[in-house]
Amino acid sequence: MHAVVDSLAMIAVSYVMGFLFYGFYRQLNARVQRRWGPSIWQNFFDNMKFFFKSETLTHGPMFFFGPMIIMAGAFTTVLFVPFLKDSDWLQGFSQYGNLILIIYLLVVGPLGNALAVGSSGNPFGVMGVTRGLTRLMGLEVPFFLGLALVMLQHETTSVHAIMAAQDGLANWGLVTNPIAFCVILLPFIASQNGSPFDVVGAPVEVYAGPRVEFGGRLLGVLMTQNMMMSIAKLVLVVDLFMGGATNILVLIGKAFALFLLTTVVSMVFPRLKTEQAVDFFWKVPLGLGVLAVILTVWLPSWSA
Amino acid sequence: MSWMLRLLFLAVSLSPAALLMAWDADLSWPLIEGVRLSLTLTPLAGFFLVLLALVAPLIALPMLRRPSDVPSLVLFVLLLIGMQLLLLAGDFVSFFIGWEVMTWSSYLLLLRSPRTDMVTSQSYILFNLASAFLLLAGILVFYSVTGDFLIRAATEVSRPQALSLVVLFGLAFLIKAGTLPLHIWIPRSYDQAPDLFSAFLSGSISKMGVYGLILLLTLFPDALTGFAGRFLNGPAVGYLLAWVGVITSIVATFKAISQEDMKRLLAYSSIAQVGYITTAIGVGSSLALAGALYLALVHTLVKVLLFISVAGIVLQTGQRRFNDLGRLIERMPISFFGVLIGIIGLAGMPPLPGFAAKYLVFVSLVDARWLLLLAAMILASTAAFIYCYKLVYAPFLGHANSPEAREAREAPWPYLVPQVILMGLLVLFGLFPGLAIDVLIDPVLVGLQMAPIGSESWAKLSTAYGGYDGVVLMLVFGTAFALVTGLFLLLRGRMRRAGSPHDLSFAGEVPTAETPLHYGAGMGRELRRIPLVGWILRQGTQGFYLGLAGQMRAAAALLGTLYVGRPQTWILIAVVVFALSLAVQAMMGGL
Amino acid sequence: MTLPLTPVWFVALPLLLAFASPLWVRLRLLMPLLVGTPAALLLLAFVLLPEVRTAPLLETIVIAPPLGIHLQLDSASWILVALISFAGLLTNAFIWLADGEPYLRDRRAFVFLLLLIAGCNGMVLTGDLFNLYVFLEIAGVSAYALSALRRDASALEAGLKYLIIGSVAAVFFLFSVVLVYLQTGQLNLAAIAVGFGEIPGPMQILIGLLMLVGLGIKAELFPFNFWVPDIYQGSHPAVAGLYSGLLVKVFLFVLFHLVFLLLADPKVVGIWLMGLGAATMLIAEVVALRQEDLRRMLAYSSLGQIGLITLALGFGVEATTAGGLFHMVNHTLVKLLLFLTAAVLLRSFVSAQLADLAGAGRARPLAAALFVLGALAVMGLPPLSGFASKLWILKGFAEAGVFWPVALILLAALIEAGYYFRWIKVLYDPSVQLQAVHPVGRLAYAPMAVAAGLIILLGVAPFLVDALFSEGAQALLDRGATLTAVLGAGS
Repeated sequence: MHAVVDSLAMIAVSYVMGFLFYGFYRQLNARVQRRWGPSIWQNFFDNMKFFFKSETLTHGPMFFFGPMIIMAGAFTTVLFVPFLKDSDWLQGFSQYGNLILIIYLLVVGPLGNALAVGSSGNPFGVMGVTRGLTRLMGLEVPFFLGLALVMLQHETTSVHAIMAAQDGLANWGLVTNPIAFCVILLPFIASQNGSPFDVVGAPVEVYAGPRVEFGGRLLGVLMTQNMMMSIAKLVLVVDLFMGGATNILVLIGKAFALFLLTTVVSMVFPRLKTEQAVDFFWKVPLGLGVLAVILTVWLPSWSA
Repeated sequence: MSWMLRLLFLAVSLSPAALLMAWDADLSWPLIEGVRLSLTLTPLAGFFLVLLALVAPLIALPMLRRPSDVPSLVLFVLLLIGMQLLLLAGDFVSFFIGWEVMTWSSYLLLLRSPRTDMVTSQSYILFNLASAFLLLAGILVFYSVTGDFLIRAATEVSRPQALSLVVLFGLAFLIKAGTLPLHIWIPRSYDQAPDLFSAFLSGSISKMGVYGLILLLTLFPDALTGFAGRFLNGPAVGYLLAWVGVITSIVATFKAISQEDMKRLLAYSSIAQVGYITTAIGVGSSLALAGALYLALVHTLVKVLLFISVAGIVLQTGQRRFNDLGRLIERMPISFFGVLIGIIGLAGMPPLPGFAAKYLVFVSLVDARWLLLLAAMILASTAAFIYCYKLVYAPFLGHANSPEAREAREAPWPYLVPQVILMGLLVLFGLFPGLAIDVLIDPVLVGLQMAPIGSESWAKLSTAYGGYDGVVLMLVFGTAFALVTGLFLLLRGRMRRAGSPHDLSFAGEVPTAETPLHYGAGMGRELRRIPLVGWILRQGTQGFYLGLAGQMRAAAALLGTLYVGRPQTWILIAVVVFALSLAVQAMMGGL
Repeated sequence: MTLPLTPVWFVALPLLLAFASPLWVRLRLLMPLLVGTPAALLLLAFVLLPEVRTAPLLETIVIAPPLGIHLQLDSASWILVALISFAGLLTNAFIWLADGEPYLRDRRAFVFLLLLIAGCNGMVLTGDLFNLYVFLEIAGVSAYALSALRRDASALEAGLKYLIIGSVAAVFFLFSVVLVYLQTGQLNLAAIAVGFGEIPGPMQILIGLLMLVGLGIKAELFPFNFWVPDIYQGSHPAVAGLYSGLLVKVFLFVLFHLVFLLLADPKVVGIWLMGLGAATMLIAEVVALRQEDLRRMLAYSSLGQIGLITLALGFGVEATTAGGLFHMVNHTLVKLLLFLTAAVLLRSFVSAQLADLAGAGRARPLAAALFVLGALAVMGLPPLSGFASKLWILKGFAEAGVFWPVALILLAALIEAGYYFRWIKVLYDPSVQLQAVHPVGRLAYAPMAVAAGLIILLGVAPFLVDALFSEGAQALLDRGATLTAVLGAGS
């Protein structure tokens, strides 16, 4: 019973946080561009509007199941990320998983959806999927390397254990392992589909991207999972580098701070092409990661 | 007569399984003076025998479909016998005999395909024989050191001897496993071999190289710990091997992405997967070996599944290129699920066991503190998503691109039964990641005198670095899926099926049947624009080997001019040689 | 009157039967006797085997001392005698059963085949240098004649070329015989062996070189083997099989017999012979890569194997020698099989060119399968007999810690695979539909099947015969024992 309530609570928290954060993002973006942006609730309204569309076009069963898989993937991901530390609540099933599993779960859903995109028969959609996968290939390398540094630092893959080790500001991953945080920051932005790495599904002259063929309720599902997934990733980074959170307010605060940081980065850079993005990841963040490995792993072992 | 033959064949294909259950003693067979074959079953060999026992009948079943090719059946039986001999070998001579029987019978099977060309068959046999002869040379060095042929730890070897042994054996097994730059025979032969035999090549025969590599570790108990010092928290020699493996994976993965043919793609993917295994063996810790064995298990199941599915597609459509297929999901749904489950396993996605295997390897790399290797491996395994997607998209999704693809029917049942069984096995191992650890892998580790991984329950994979629970994962995902689908359907509003496949949001235009809508072979082409990937794809070793072959032929021509058809020349040469050697002797000895 | 079963029959029986050939024509017994004679000799060999294994059989037919016929059958020469009889049996059976070319089935062929067998037996058995020369000529002359039997331009050319080069070889050998006689006054091998050490060094070298060139030409060692491919290509494949399977082995055996018997320390020349063997092997294997004619390819392959055997015997250690003898036997079986297959293919498709045989595997599945078997065996792939003998040789080298021959042998095997598998691939070329032109009777396959069966049997269970080869190697290498046996029992 506890598990069920807890799970529902986690899903609700991540959904609410999701549309509020994105609403805020739209506001902020507008203000930077000297516009009155939409209301902070706009994302919620949009989402609901999609869900209550009277007609939805499909292209066969696989097309229908794709969004279901990605949604189930988002739920699963959320449930395997511990939201709070030292608490019985908002834990989901995180004690049955680990960091590597979460990284992979983040990809399960999008791959499921890719099947639906392929099933639609729209080549622009498939092109978007390929771009997404290509970008994933670029970002995952430094991202995982940064996380591996954290895993090595704490000698575990358990998010709980990593969180538990960061009691107090001085023990935050951000403080003890800042270079790892720098390594993952840009890939993290890309994994949130944030600018300047948002070429997948970005508005371009020919509408392309994984979502090109979706409409109505199915598009609503895609939007929902996107917001929840973003929150799951934010919380994960909070857990790993910012000591986690002991209650929901601290969680929102820390996640928001992190969100603000990524948003600021996103807002000032122009968009990169896919191959530019990949090349960038393999040069800058990965180079930084290699440096980090040399500094924090090789040198201590040789000097010892 | 005919059905007797079939029954017999099926029975033989079950022989590895029978052997596994019934084997309880050692056997020995004299060969020549001082050489005695002795057969015994070690836990390590047992593991690979399990793989063989799983795969052999599943491939035998579709092979029996009429009209069956009797020579192929005979050769397959020989191949199975050879592999069992290889696995049961307690001494190097029987190991070598098994290895060779496997080599030539598989070569002859390769010839049964009408598509095999000369370059393929020659590269297959020459690389494999080179591997075999290196192995034999290693065996002879081993013999000269230890005085017998028994496979056992060589403790009394000196350093140069050990080095030559490692190089000879290592090269032999790396050729078989197909690591860079010794892989060139693999894509061609997996592609052109008879479709079902490709499954066996990739699923079982490539594992023999892996078996050999692990066996090599047992020859030198300290090979991976103290042989040439340590690097960080792992063996320095292994670090090199691990990089060989991971570079193999990266290059092969990018090559796989750029392929336009299903079987070639699978071939490169096979090289990449074996590259991971090589990496794991290089790490050499108990975790890593567990990972290597797990990967071997998963790769066997997955590749056999995928190759059989692909064989079914080729059988029904006659097409193997991505551009000529498409939209088979509606015509071959079971094959679609076969490929889908296969690529999920191949990509190492949870909840299928591919993830458990990769998890073990990743953790072992963290444990060894080889993070750069880990990053490189992540690169390969993420890039693999692209070809996995291509493999399911191009044949099954999108638009049918040839008349055959439009009219295909589901593969016949002998192709489907193995697929269903393999899907079941994959799901089973995915639900219970500890099952494979407990039943298959831990006995091997104990046999190798390493710490077993252990599992508190079959549902759990647990390591010192944490683990996960396959049943919970599957339950959560399944429940979420059911919940989401249910809620979605409860919502108001109706679903409308698109009127035609061309009813698309297509840049404001209305596509017709003539519009090229299938992304097929083009997928991943733009990857070339990434500088590193473009550079990798431009490289190749084929030129080197073709050059070598050309040089050999030139040498043959040059030496062939000695063998002229004129008796006077023969006599002249004889007399001149006679006179010269007499003169030399005279000068040296003073005649 | 009882006929004593003595080694002399190995020479006498074929000679007598050959000279009485007009009678057999009249009685229509030509073909049965062609097969029956080697069969009888084989039987005789097996009857004598238990005796031979206890002690060498010596037989002297004195004409006028020191002239006489001196025969010696020990474990080593027994192997060769049995091999000669067996090879003769298979080839002759093929000639009879295949019902092919008439020129191989008439009286002349009968005479020459039996003379060849007699000559070979004589060379192996004789304990007398001059007799050795005589038998060498008998075998040689019948071989030249066999080459030329077909009476067309290419066969006559081959026969003539063979005659020329063979005569040169014989002259070289004769010179060495004369020199030995002048120096020691002896013709009995054992007696020469005792006195050989006293000949002045330079003369020893001269004699050695003359013998080496003479026997080297005959035994097809590099650089005296340039004639081989032409002759093999010009002759009927079955006859070429006899050359490769039988004649060369005999000359090789004689060469090493002389080396091990005459020299107190065979190691001195052993290293040179090993070098020759290695060169023969590698060069022939490389040249074979480009051959487009089946018979030529087999000829080069045969040279390669001869090189390997030379390498093994030259090392002069019991394991390699035993392996080398075993390999002789295996190679004979294999080459007979391959050449007979070539004969079948040649008759079926009229050509032995690679391009003309594409797809032959479907038109003549049995012949192609036998070819594959033979090819696998000649490359020394298990579980066929070539592997057992190669392993034995390699093991001998490994025991001694000498690894350069191992490397060369394996390299040569790899090159060999390069062309054999090319042929196999072409034989099974799926793109060509080839039709056989001439039929081949089923019975023709019987001798080949026997050879194939033996190849498999000896590959799977070489322990059945390994003791024979060990004893043979000991007999060949143990100079002292031979000398005491002969000199004690003889003069």
